[in-house]
Amino acid sequence: MSLILKNVSVTTEKDGVILDDISFEFKPGRIYILIGRTTSGKTSLMRAIAGLLPIDSGEITMNGVDFDEKPIWERDVAVVYQQFINYPNKTVLQNVEFPLLRKGLKKTEAREVALASINKVGLSDYLDRKPSQLSGGQQQRVALARSLSRKSHIMLLDEPLMNLDYKLREQLRVEFKEIFNSQKDAVTIYATTEPPEALILGAEILVMHEGRIVQFGSPTEVYEQPQSTTVARVISDPPMSILPVSLAAGEIRFSDGYSQPIPAKMKNFKEGRYEVGIRANDIVSAKSGGEKGVISLVEVSGSETLVYVDTPAGEVVLQMEGIHDVKVGESISIELPGNRLFLFETNGALCVSPDSAGE
Amino acid sequence: MKKGYPRFFLLPGLILLIAIIIFPLLFTIRVTFSSWNVSQSGLNFIGGENWSEMVRDTRYWGSLLRLFYLSFLTVAIQYALGFAIALFAWKGIAARRFFRVLWLIPMMTTPSLMAIIWRSIFTEDIGALNGLLSRVGLNPVNWLTESGPANIAITIVEVWQWTPFMFLILLAGLLSLPKEPFMAAAIDGASAWKTFARVTFPMMAPISIGAIMIRLIDASKIFDSVFTMTRGGPGNATETPAAYIFQRSLQDFQIAYGSTLALMYLILAILTLTIIGKVFARLSKPRGI
Amino acid sequence: MYKVLKATFITIWSLFVLFPIMWAITTSFKPESAVVNGATFIPFLEFQPSLIGWKAILPGPDSLTNLLTPTLNSLIVTAGATAISLIFGSLAAYGLSRFTYGWKNYSNADIIFFFVSQRIMPPVVLAIPFFLLLKELRLLDTHLGLILVLTSGLMPIVVWLMVDFFNALPREIDEMAMLEGCNPIQAFFRTILPLSKPGLTVAGMFCVIFGWNDIFFALTLTATKVLTLPVAVIALNGTVTPYWILAASTVFSIIPLVGLAFVIERFLSRGNLGGAVR
Repeated sequence: MSLILKNVSVTTEKDGVILDDISFEFKPGRIYILIGRTTSGKTSLMRAIAGLLPIDSGEITMNGVDFDEKPIWERDVAVVYQQFINYPNKTVLQNVEFPLLRKGLKKTEAREVALASINKVGLSDYLDRKPSQLSGGQQQRVALARSLSRKSHIMLLDEPLMNLDYKLREQLRVEFKEIFNSQKDAVTIYATTEPPEALILGAEILVMHEGRIVQFGSPTEVYEQPQSTTVARVISDPPMSILPVSLAAGEIRFSDGYSQPIPAKMKNFKEGRYEVGIRANDIVSAKSGGEKGVISLVEVSGSETLVYVDTPAGEVVLQMEGIHDVKVGESISIELPGNRLFLFETNGALCVSPDSAGE
Repeated sequence: MKKGYPRFFLLPGLILLIAIIIFPLLFTIRVTFSSWNVSQSGLNFIGGENWSEMVRDTRYWGSLLRLFYLSFLTVAIQYALGFAIALFAWKGIAARRFFRVLWLIPMMTTPSLMAIIWRSIFTEDIGALNGLLSRVGLNPVNWLTESGPANIAITIVEVWQWTPFMFLILLAGLLSLPKEPFMAAAIDGASAWKTFARVTFPMMAPISIGAIMIRLIDASKIFDSVFTMTRGGPGNATETPAAYIFQRSLQDFQIAYGSTLALMYLILAILTLTIIGKVFARLSKPRGI
Repeated sequence: MYKVLKATFITIWSLFVLFPIMWAITTSFKPESAVVNGATFIPFLEFQPSLIGWKAILPGPDSLTNLLTPTLNSLIVTAGATAISLIFGSLAAYGLSRFTYGWKNYSNADIIFFFVSQRIMPPVVLAIPFFLLLKELRLLDTHLGLILVLTSGLMPIVVWLMVDFFNALPREIDEMAMLEGCNPIQAFFRTILPLSKPGLTVAGMFCVIFGWNDIFFALTLTATKVLTLPVAVIALNGTVTPYWILAASTVFSIIPLVGLAFVIERFLSRGNLGGAVR
């Protein structure tokens, strides 16, 4: 019952390589999260699975059947887009019934299933409305009801919550988790650009970058052990600060001369050039000592303050609990606790992660 | 992607069109190399005789030149007037809907029949126009019996008939323009003229070009008004190629020669319109539209 | 100052628009004397209205010719040509909007250009060949023959308008239909077509206008059995041009289409025309 991709590649004249030799097995009953920047290939991968994007090489099979022989309308794929696609001239009820009738269900049966689905998304009072008469959140729910009621074996959701307001997003995210966990025999793939969403929803996370899957694993794995600086950048929100350093004589030396002792985990590595990374909430502002820099940007979000600091060694982002009265242009001292540092090779590969079972 | 589905959509229409047009066109080309009139049963071959006769046919070239002037003149007037009334019908005046309907009406009328009415207006002794002129104390004009006034008469008829077409397309375009640039212009205190010159007109450029091209294409075929109102007269003063060819082919029955003229007409029309189209395409690029 | 100019301009233009029509209407009610002895304008003051023109064209004892049959012919021919053009034209336009056709070196844009360029064809170029073609097919002087010929001129308009219209309809809708089990034909008929009413109406109106008003092909390709309205009216030209009859005929002929002006205006005001005309 798995969806298997083997060496799937797609190249276009206009945009170059869109999908680069993708191989993966998606098993039923799980939620897979695709996370990556906007051009990383998440949408293209989904479109290739759906059949909307022809692939240049490789193969896609579902349950052993080669999708190359199956046109879009025979693939049993359900898609929920970011852009609430509903049929404008059909009512909510007709919208949800439509795919069921296409599937061959009898009218009465289709109606029953449709009503149940609409009920689940809380829109039972709006059966006769047309999509244009609904709010954004409601339209998205109609799209969701339609896709869910189909009980397809492949469910693709492409940033479905992107266009909704904050509160609605939180609410629907929770509902999604419940809904997906009850679809035992379907492959569910959910694309997002937001790390928090990925971490909340996912059973397995696939990190995509430039058309390739650069890492996959459980949320904890990916979060704690990003295999490369690329992954670290994609999966970190607020952003991880990454600075070039050299290891020598028991010290980590930053490019501006500032140095601090090598943490235990890094002792066994050769001397030479590396990159260190540190999460924004691990950086501490200090009264004195540590690295010095000038504040270039302050963002207050929610109940935290993000402070962007320009140091001679590079740009650093630190996150402070609560709302602080710091101003752009002020000087600030920051500490980078050694036991919270990531170590990466210069090519980006991970050497040491602060959360791994320690040395 | 999906086998024969794309073909299902395109082919029926395409094949129908090709079938209806291509065979007649090929036949026309063949006929130009013969001296056929309807009474013969087969097609002979006389080489390029028809073509060389065409080259010497001053009446033909005269009609082409006349058409050139006429079409450009009428389309230019239709564009200017059409744009003006479109602007008014857009938001400039009260009772907009009434005027919109009124100003659309000429386009809905049958051109050839209205040309008969126009004849009754322009005709010298009992026509409306001369009647009006004499009542106001002015001298009557020989609208249909003098070459100059006859051409003016045709121009008036064409302008009356087709300005609404420009008007319709331009108004539809105006109504579909986004509001933001106008709000910005208003906030910046731009005058009506400035707003038109800097905002409205540039934004309407693609639609203007489309409208002008379409009208030029239709104007290149002017026949109805000439045929019914003046019969190309006085003499040949208002004769357009379509009218001349019609007479040679279908009234004088010189079909082979008429087809030669017709084919040349088609080739010239395609060439001219393609060139104009490309010029327009290039004009619209530097403006960044 | 500007307002005065504007008002003057609008008044003059509106009078210009109305003049021939009012003249036609008044002339249609004139007796022969009110026409042949010099121009007359105001009914009751300058002449006594008479129904002689109208009676001449409608069935009855004073009828010279019956315009009702030609009207019916025009209706049939226009409706037929419009229907075929809309059907085949929209299908082709949809295909050109959604799929990429590439035969040898011709792209979609080339194909669209081919369709639209048929408009350039002056009717006179094809008149004789059409005549012969229809003669071979025994379709001369038949409804079907004229319908086919008119379609060749109307289909380009439909394709031109509808391609732009379909391009403006989000592709995601028919994609969604396909994902939900429709093959492309079903997707088109069940989801896109219902949304196409505005575009089809505009295209249809243009077809009706150009089809109803055609004289060239009607003149050359029909004789007695399938006389269309404009041709029938032109045939009324006798040695003494009976303008009162001609005026009545003209007014009679243009009434149906003038009604369309109201329909088009309603479309304009509701904003349905904008996307279709580009």
